[in-house]
Amino acid sequence: MWLYRWLLRLSPGSLRRDYGAAMEEMFARRISEARDAGMWRRSVVWSRELAGLLALALSERYGAAARLRRRYHQQLISGPKAGAMDIAAQEIRHAARRLVRTPVFTLAAALTLGLAIAANVAIFAVVYRVVINPLPYPQASRLILLDYGVPARNMASGMTSMAWQLYFQLADRARTLEEVAVYNTGAGTLTGRGTPERLQIARATPSLLSVLRVSPALGRWFIETEGVTGGAPVAVLSHGLWSRKFGGDRAVVGRTLTLDGVPTEIVGVMPAEFSFPDSRVELWTAAQSTRANASFLFTLTGVARLRDGVTIDSARTEITALIADLSQRVRNQTGIVSAAAPLQDALVGRVATALWILLGSVGLVLLVACANVANLFLVRSETRQREVAVRRALGASQRGVARFFFTESALVALLGGAIGLGLAWVAVQLLLQFGPPTLPRLNEIRIDGVAMTFTIALTLGATVIFGTIPLLRLAPVGVSLHDNTRGQASSRGSHRARQVLMGAQVALALVLLLASGLMVRSFQKLRAIDLGFEPSAALTFSVGLPEAKYATRQAAVAVHRDILDRLSAIAGVNDVSTTTCLPLAGPCFGNTLVVDGEPFDPRKPNPWAWWRAVSADYTAVVGMRLLRGRHLDRSDVDRGEAVVVVNKAFADGYFPGESPIDRRVRSSRPPNVNLPAVPWLRIVGVVSNTPTFALGEPTPSPQLFMPMSIAGGPDIPREALTGPDVTGMIYVLRSSIPPSDLANAVRNAIDQVDPNLAIAQVRTLQDIVDRSSDQASFTMMLIAIAATVALLLGAIGIYGVVSYIVAQRTGEIGVRLAMGAEPRTVARMVLGQSAVVIVAGITVGLVAAFAGTQLIQSLLFGISPRDPAVFVATTVLLLGVAFVACWLPARRAARLSPLDALRAE
Amino acid sequence: MNDTDPTPALPDLVFHVLLALGPGPSHGYAIGKDVEEQSGGRLDPTTGALYQVLRRLTEEGLVTPVDGPGDVDSRRKYFVLTKAGRRAAAQEAERLAALVRAARQRKLYPQKA
Repeated sequence: MWLYRWLLRLSPGSLRRDYGAAMEEMFARRISEARDAGMWRRSVVWSRELAGLLALALSERYGAAARLRRRYHQQLISGPKAGAMDIAAQEIRHAARRLVRTPVFTLAAALTLGLAIAANVAIFAVVYRVVINPLPYPQASRLILLDYGVPARNMASGMTSMAWQLYFQLADRARTLEEVAVYNTGAGTLTGRGTPERLQIARATPSLLSVLRVSPALGRWFIETEGVTGGAPVAVLSHGLWSRKFGGDRAVVGRTLTLDGVPTEIVGVMPAEFSFPDSRVELWTAAQSTRANASFLFTLTGVARLRDGVTIDSARTEITALIADLSQRVRNQTGIVSAAAPLQDALVGRVATALWILLGSVGLVLLVACANVANLFLVRSETRQREVAVRRALGASQRGVARFFFTESALVALLGGAIGLGLAWVAVQLLLQFGPPTLPRLNEIRIDGVAMTFTIALTLGATVIFGTIPLLRLAPVGVSLHDNTRGQASSRGSHRARQVLMGAQVALALVLLLASGLMVRSFQKLRAIDLGFEPSAALTFSVGLPEAKYATRQAAVAVHRDILDRLSAIAGVNDVSTTTCLPLAGPCFGNTLVVDGEPFDPRKPNPWAWWRAVSADYTAVVGMRLLRGRHLDRSDVDRGEAVVVVNKAFADGYFPGESPIDRRVRSSRPPNVNLPAVPWLRIVGVVSNTPTFALGEPTPSPQLFMPMSIAGGPDIPREALTGPDVTGMIYVLRSSIPPSDLANAVRNAIDQVDPNLAIAQVRTLQDIVDRSSDQASFTMMLIAIAATVALLLGAIGIYGVVSYIVAQRTGEIGVRLAMGAEPRTVARMVLGQSAVVIVAGITVGLVAAFAGTQLIQSLLFGISPRDPAVFVATTVLLLGVAFVACWLPARRAARLSPLDALRAE
Repeated sequence: MNDTDPTPALPDLVFHVLLALGPGPSHGYAIGKDVEEQSGGRLDPTTGALYQVLRRLTEEGLVTPVDGPGDVDSRRKYFVLTKAGRRAAAQEAERLAALVRAARQRKLYPQKA
């Protein structure tokens, strides 16, 4: 309805004032009438009505001159003048008829435009819904992510973890923040309802929903007492889990489910559109702590709502001051500063650049398409030159003639816009199906009113661009009647217009091709980097142990060893191992450490590393290369030897220029008599670096691998910082048969150990590698498609222009050939003239690209935005395509028989 | 273009709108329905097209807006034929009748039953 009202504004004010309300009323009645007649009828009525409104707006605006003239006539002629009144409507009808009579022209123009508009609308819908549209929370601009930085470690931001200690400090004392909440995510096992299932769970403070200002769809969220250590275990379901596991039963609130072996009461269900922190989370439980026993470990992520009128800068200043105050009591908080950022930026900032660049690329494609369509219209208008001249001679005004052409352009644009909107809708559906799951807010993407408005704006813009170009070429009165009397409609001026269009197409296509070439090269480099491990033919999956049943590290390690034994007995399985954290899986467990024999230097940042607890030979099974010493073996793990393997980054960083073998390191933590002592760990091997977060990390992170039998566990306090908790482990299985054939055997093997254990995240190592580059490959693919379309359209444009020139000059060529010109000379003449235009276009394109490719620098990996190889290869490719597009018509010109050519006169 | 024709034919839609207003005042939605029925579904003007015609007819003085019955949606606008409107409709009907007569004389159209 509002869309209709909005579109109504396109029509002149007087009409709107007099009839706007009445039209709205009539429209509303028609829509409500159509609503009962089903989806199809409704969309037909909608589109008819909108088209009618557009036609009204157009004809009212462009018909204004006609109406004035009519009034003047009315004074001369008495009697009813109804016949003269629909000049504009008539013009539209006539134009429509002319277009229907030339279906090939109309379809070619409308499809070219439609495709380009579709690409623009689809990408715009993504940009709008993901980047521009505020997050789906009230006053979302006041939501911030509590990001931190450690200037002393050269880290300005990006540390999104914080401790309970800081949470309470902020909740109690921050005046710039209206409300603070913290959460963390992890996996949990749901048992008792069918097959045990591993779920993604978020543990959040009760304050989370007051920060976000949303309410559950059913039941309630957590209350204050449930967020206190020892509070009753309660859970809130996601809409998806509720539908999937509980059949959408509204009586689910108050029922009990078993989460990691603990009976947990369901207190609420969230609305379908709620997905915080991301759409993978299916269950929320209350994070529990108390001020007295608050942990100093960085295990939480924080979000907050700024108080009304508070800037993010003042919030940062206050948070930094509160951290400094806290660090007097809690030493490990020293040196941390706030880098709080708007939640939306934090969420989509990474992909925003890529999306804007994509939108720019498809915008260029639209320009190329407009140039092509303008070309088509140019040809069309010239074949009409005589008709126009006759009209002018009979007294048609310049405006009247302009309207004659412009009406056609507008109709073609409308058709293109309609095709574009339809195709864009299809594209968005495909994107929702196959888009990269790492794209944030993917599920929010749709063609909404804003995207429709954008389509209309694009359509109007396109009309103006390609509608006016032929108008500029309208000959002044009289010229066309006596000029060109031999049927040659073309003139020198229109040649120039056409050549400018051709050159522009070449330039635009080159810019896009360059961008896409750079992306492809950078993607190749990304995929060619040394991973440091071997991703092929390896199956991975995670197994979580319910703490209620396996309450000690010893029990957990025994089960893992049992599982490893049974897995290695499966026929076709060559090697099995397990770890707390695979490559590319992110931070997992990280901690600072002390190197034996290195005096503590307060000026130097502490050594630190990502810690992984592993079973025997893990580093060998995932295919890390052994650079020194040995891998951890079975007896290290069985006997709980205090030995570790480190990676190259660790060795180079903390033992530069010397061998780390037999040196000792120890987990670093504040002294506390109540916690078990941390042992010294002897380094026995050095392995190759593997990526921690993403492919192509600028600097590899130090990693340390310890036997799982000496790491952390359910009976070891987390504050002891012994090592990562071994209750949840990820298995790696190398086999001589395809990994996908192993799923059943794996399930059976684990059932033999304990049928209540859930398996999750079953995938191959190769999947993990592919996934970490899928966003890059997605962007690359879309830009490559845009570039290909631009190249094709450009080639068609060049071909069309050169063919047209050849056709226009058939007579002249005939004379030349008759006078004895070599066919080769004729071809060279045609080619030569086009070559000048193409080279000019390429020059402009290269200059533009040289300046513009800086924009995509942030998307590139391992390649300069001015990479000479890409520039040369792309230019050669474009030259080749342009040459073929010119050569085909040139050859035709050369093969003309002089007789035919002259007869064509 | 018909600018200089002294008694041009009325466009189809215009004549139908005048016909729809023949029995008395009516409003946009009802006029649209009537036009669709009268023309046997051949004409089904969109809201925009219909109001464009109504506006032109108002400007030409062939129809004029009037107050509707008090009990309906206040946004709704009622229109009624003016004298000139009736005359224009009659002229068009006469023109069509003359055409029909001519067609009959030339044996292009069956005689009255």
